[in-house]
Amino acid sequence: MLQLLGTGVASAGITATAGCLGGDGDDEDEVEEFVVTQGEFIENTDPNDHNATPYYNVLDQVYEPLFNVTDDGEIEERVVTDWEHPEDGVVELTIRDDVVFHEGEELVASDVAYTINRQIDEDVGIVSDQVAGMTAIEGAEADGDTTVLVEHSAAESLAEFQLANFARAVNEEWMEGQDQPVDGEMNGTGPYQLEEYESGVQAVYTRFDDYWGDEPAFETVRFNAAAESSSRVGGLQADESDLVVNVPPTDVETVDTEDGIEVRNVTSFRNIFLVMKNEVEPFDSQEFRQALNYAVDNEGIIDSVLGGFGAPMTQPIPEGLFGYNPELDPYEQDQELAEELIEESGYAGEEITLQSMEGRYLNDAEVAQTAADQIDQLGNVSCDFETVPFDQISDAAGEGPDFEEIPFFLIGWGNPTGDSDYGLSPWFTSGGGQFNFRDEELEERLIESQQEDDEDEREALLQGINADLREEAPWVFLHLEESIYGVRDDLEWEPRQDESIYIDEMGL
Amino acid sequence: MSFGKFLSKRILQGVIVVWGVITGTFALRAASPGDPVNLIVDPAASPELRERIREELGLNEPLYVQYADYLGGILTGDFGYSYQSGQDVLPLVVQRLPATLELAVAATVVAIVIAIPLGVVSATRRNQPADYGATLFSLVGISTPNFWLGIMLILVLAVQFGIFPTGQRPVGFAEAMGTFVTTLHADELLTWVRHITLPAIALGTYFTALITRLTRSGMVDELGKPYVTATEAKGLPAVLIRYKHVLRNTMIPIITVLGLQLGTLIGGAVITETVFAWPGLGLRLINAIYTLDWPLIQGIIIVIGVGFVLINIVVDSLYAYLNPRVIDE
Repeated sequence: MLQLLGTGVASAGITATAGCLGGDGDDEDEVEEFVVTQGEFIENTDPNDHNATPYYNVLDQVYEPLFNVTDDGEIEERVVTDWEHPEDGVVELTIRDDVVFHEGEELVASDVAYTINRQIDEDVGIVSDQVAGMTAIEGAEADGDTTVLVEHSAAESLAEFQLANFARAVNEEWMEGQDQPVDGEMNGTGPYQLEEYESGVQAVYTRFDDYWGDEPAFETVRFNAAAESSSRVGGLQADESDLVVNVPPTDVETVDTEDGIEVRNVTSFRNIFLVMKNEVEPFDSQEFRQALNYAVDNEGIIDSVLGGFGAPMTQPIPEGLFGYNPELDPYEQDQELAEELIEESGYAGEEITLQSMEGRYLNDAEVAQTAADQIDQLGNVSCDFETVPFDQISDAAGEGPDFEEIPFFLIGWGNPTGDSDYGLSPWFTSGGGQFNFRDEELEERLIESQQEDDEDEREALLQGINADLREEAPWVFLHLEESIYGVRDDLEWEPRQDESIYIDEMGL
Repeated sequence: MSFGKFLSKRILQGVIVVWGVITGTFALRAASPGDPVNLIVDPAASPELRERIREELGLNEPLYVQYADYLGGILTGDFGYSYQSGQDVLPLVVQRLPATLELAVAATVVAIVIAIPLGVVSATRRNQPADYGATLFSLVGISTPNFWLGIMLILVLAVQFGIFPTGQRPVGFAEAMGTFVTTLHADELLTWVRHITLPAIALGTYFTALITRLTRSGMVDELGKPYVTATEAKGLPAVLIRYKHVLRNTMIPIITVLGLQLGTLIGGAVITETVFAWPGLGLRLINAIYTLDWPLIQGIIIVIGVGFVLINIVVDSLYAYLNPRVIDE
């Protein structure tokens, strides 16, 4: 209801005046404060106690990543200037010698090693959510002041992807002196340092004068939160925010036609799909699973339910990730073929129920209901739709392929690492937290891909797995979510597919 | 019954209500589907880690053991820790209490300042345009959902005219007042006033309408009583009669409602705080509900419940003190 009314707020088409930044906006030296409003906000200031993009966006300005990952997924130097593989299972990182923490200590290799160990070992500080993204990393130790040796159990490229996406340096001595998890204080090496923090509300940063890299454009940056989308859009219109996250599709036209602000969007790496547990009838039939893919009109859902925002999926992995197979096409809706496949499956006349949460992903329940209606239109199968709390879906996803209570459900999966493995292994290997599709041969191939050191070979293996998964149809492939931002129109910034926001890359 | 016994009885009743709230929230948590471990660790975490966390949280214990642990914890001030932030619940709740209290009190002030004069005017000018206007205002105020009103206030007064900000709370009242007292600079205090005005109006409108109605009906009753006729016959000025005698008698039930409604406003702030991104208990409760952060949900509900009970006890006691007949009723 609030979102519906929020649409009314934004649809009023009210003219915005000048930007909320201080100064005239032409001279970057004049800029006083840049305000970013998200729907979610950090619950504490510990850089290792979370694994969600909105949280990284708040913290990354202070706790800079060790590597740069370009929007194309390329790994570049940053705090780490060089990385080599002196022997199997070891990455040697060389770090800059001119990096200092905001409290004045120099960054040394032992800090980086401590950070990595803190992420993967629950006995070092906290139980870090980030362990899920660093499955290939086994431990780290310092070798002198600027060299870190990281042990890993997988292919070199996979280990690099994981380090590049999850490692940010903390100061060991400082961190050990804090209550765990840390809250209220930050001590990173990034371009901004913490000035003011209010738990769950806002973090205000100022430029860090001793930052080793280029000076960022804005003197002060404020991250705050407005859970209600109409409040975020209203804040942008009233010049209280310079960048707001997740503009609802219904407000896009209003924001885009207003003076001084505009919408910028990009298709993200967040994949939305319908899981079918293949140990539960009738989803144990490949024909039946394929039939459901042919029954659903992906493009139609994107156009009608998502306002045209989204991209149809062709395989379990989004385009742009290592291992994506560019040769594959989406399933096109073909209800006759779907009915034939259902006959072939032996499950004609079956009654199934699609379950979905509501409000977690963009128009999730509406997407699921439309898909269920399209399946229900088939002459030889009926499909009901039901909304359930997210945690029930989350539980079902973690209960394995034999769990009969919720065998068919909508869920989303972000792919922040730039590598197919994070999108595949949790779902298709029996040790993965989201294991719902039992296929031992596929699992062996995935494990093989993790061990393959030759990058080309590994890519070919992953592309083959993705092609076969399209045919196996473990999911009804739906779409990639769109990231929709509202920004002041003179902002030099393009949104990234990985949903990251780095203020030091912006300007006016 | 003595006043002391009356107070003891009320406190005992309050303790029972608080125990009921604690037990009710625990029961809700126990009955709610889903595994809390999923809320604490990443979905891709290993089964071993999940099991370890389950053991640490005592989730493998029988329900009565969990209940006893929880109750014992609360009695010692330990409300557990938030699944999302990993922080102790009690400081997380206490930290947000001032913002919600500020909002509730500001909404009450808005209600008093507007409603009482409006009710008096309405009662003393019955069947005249002022009365019709006040009655219409009451009807609209009572019928308008506060989240809708909040969005409309943002639309008109913040976005279109830019008079007020759309929300947020950059400074707290205590801090703003402290700065004012020590430096005589009112900037922070004005900032606080600008930011709280729209949320206070949105939250207080229903309350304002209610008090307007109560004042009007109370005044109408009082104005028909013989003592009013007698004072008029004595030749006392009409303003003095209305505001000194009639309004004073009307205020007793209004003060009772004001006290009780303050508790309701704390609960009612949930939606208003969300619309205006006002960082109070309500906003934290909504976030906790979205993430099913049960320890935090329980902590907030218990604190709101305790606050409500305390306000009730204070109001009842004051009422009994002022009007001792109610002690024996």
